[in-house]
Amino acid sequence: MQEFAQQVVSGIAIGGIFASLALALVLIYNAMGLVNFAQGEMAMLATFVAFALINRGMSYWFAFPVTLVLAFVAGIAIQRLVIKPVERGPVLTLVIITLGLATLINGLAGFIFGYVPRSFPSPFSSDSIDLLGVFVSWRDLGVIAVSGLVLLAVYVLLQRTTVGLTMRAAAHHPEASRLLGVQVSWMLALGWGLASAVGTVSGIMVAPILLLEPNMMQSIIIYAFAAAVLGGIESPLGAVIGGILVGLTVNLAGAYLPGVGGDLQLAVGLAIIIAVLLLRPNGLFGRAATRRV
Amino acid sequence: MVSNLLELKEVHAGYGPRAVLHGVSLTVPVGGIVSLLGANGAGKTTTLRTITAGVRWSGDILFAGRSLRRMSTEDVVRAGIAHVPEGRGICTELTVDENLRLGAHLRRDGAEVQKDYDRVFEYFPVLKERRKLSASTLSGGEQQMLALARAILMRPKLMLLDEPSLGLAPIVVRAIFEIIRAINETSGVAVLLVEQNARIALDLSSTAYVLEVGRVAVSGESAQLRGDESVRRSYLGY
Repeated sequence: MQEFAQQVVSGIAIGGIFASLALALVLIYNAMGLVNFAQGEMAMLATFVAFALINRGMSYWFAFPVTLVLAFVAGIAIQRLVIKPVERGPVLTLVIITLGLATLINGLAGFIFGYVPRSFPSPFSSDSIDLLGVFVSWRDLGVIAVSGLVLLAVYVLLQRTTVGLTMRAAAHHPEASRLLGVQVSWMLALGWGLASAVGTVSGIMVAPILLLEPNMMQSIIIYAFAAAVLGGIESPLGAVIGGILVGLTVNLAGAYLPGVGGDLQLAVGLAIIIAVLLLRPNGLFGRAATRRV
Repeated sequence: MVSNLLELKEVHAGYGPRAVLHGVSLTVPVGGIVSLLGANGAGKTTTLRTITAGVRWSGDILFAGRSLRRMSTEDVVRAGIAHVPEGRGICTELTVDENLRLGAHLRRDGAEVQKDYDRVFEYFPVLKERRKLSASTLSGGEQQMLALARAILMRPKLMLLDEPSLGLAPIVVRAIFEIIRAINETSGVAVLLVEQNARIALDLSSTAYVLEVGRVAVSGESAQLRGDESVRRSYLGY
């Protein structure tokens, strides 16, 4: 029982990491009708930037927001320079462009920082505390707190501010929004910036666990896809809940299903994607894909 | 002193190689209501879309004395033109209240915005009841009300209304046209109204233009057109 509760807390922590990246995927999906296959690599590169800043003596809690701001600006720049010129092109063009971007960023990170895994600092101690009879690590609690705060901030931005309202309108109803004076193109760029920053949180949170190297996010992005698909791909709230569910499932399967630990955990993530697509293609929070004509 | 709020001069427009407007000229006076009539495919909707930069065009369009050439849709709207498009342009992913907030999102005059909200809810009490609901739950008539309400909250100088009567029950149409008249009279906003329903449009407007295959076939005072049986028969179908 004790052990089970610990696994649940760890699952929620890793789920928060998946949720951040899944939310980034959903934000872009809503704006462009397609996920950004480079989302994980963008987060990885930003994590390297945080690493470099911390290595040069910046404190963790200063480097963290600085990196998020840089990632935000980079996200906007990528949308302006790479995505906007082809935004009216066929879907396949966008798929290839984001896949190309992923390869490019991966190579760039390898070129600059090398492929040797590096240990990334965690600001939380690895000690455990006794929480109502369950020993929980500060790390798990810290990751849950950071993810929770970031997700809450995104929620407040999107749901409670005028900028968030215009971003949602621009993503879902570009034509109607233009007629209301919304600068649609810039709102989509802002969406890229936001997604880039949110995805970066997952990179920074996962780096102390996985070790930082250019391929670090390649398994995480699979789990994030699973989370986003489970949540219904269009729903930010769905992505968050999907992330936590995927985190729990993967962690518990790893702990209790014989043979699933380690390498096979990724297969659990893929199995979730396939199961959702087969059994409930619209996910938990998606709407049926009907269009009024 | 500019007495014409909107002036189209020999406007040509179309979609790609297909020309739809072949030199349309029309004017909307400050505070006036002008209707734009004609059969399906005559170019009425395209004329409105041309004004808000939804279509490539040539010729010239002046709004409050300023040319709209090379302006983006967003900039035209920000200059003071509210366009309620074909299909009403409701953001069905958002709530009724969020749609209304989008209408007012560029305004900084908070107290005046509040007054406009009060006015809008006085015109359309049903929107107040449904504020928190998704706009997708509204009926066709209610969506038309929401589109008009949102246009009022933009506090434009000119409203472009594309077939506000489309698909609505006659009693709802009458109510909506009464409100268009009230908006025009109380706030002096000019209206360019595209309608299939020529009878009700001519009752509301002071001037009218009849389009035929992308050209102005007839124009004049609404009362005069209404009384001219040959115009009615050949162009307006009633």
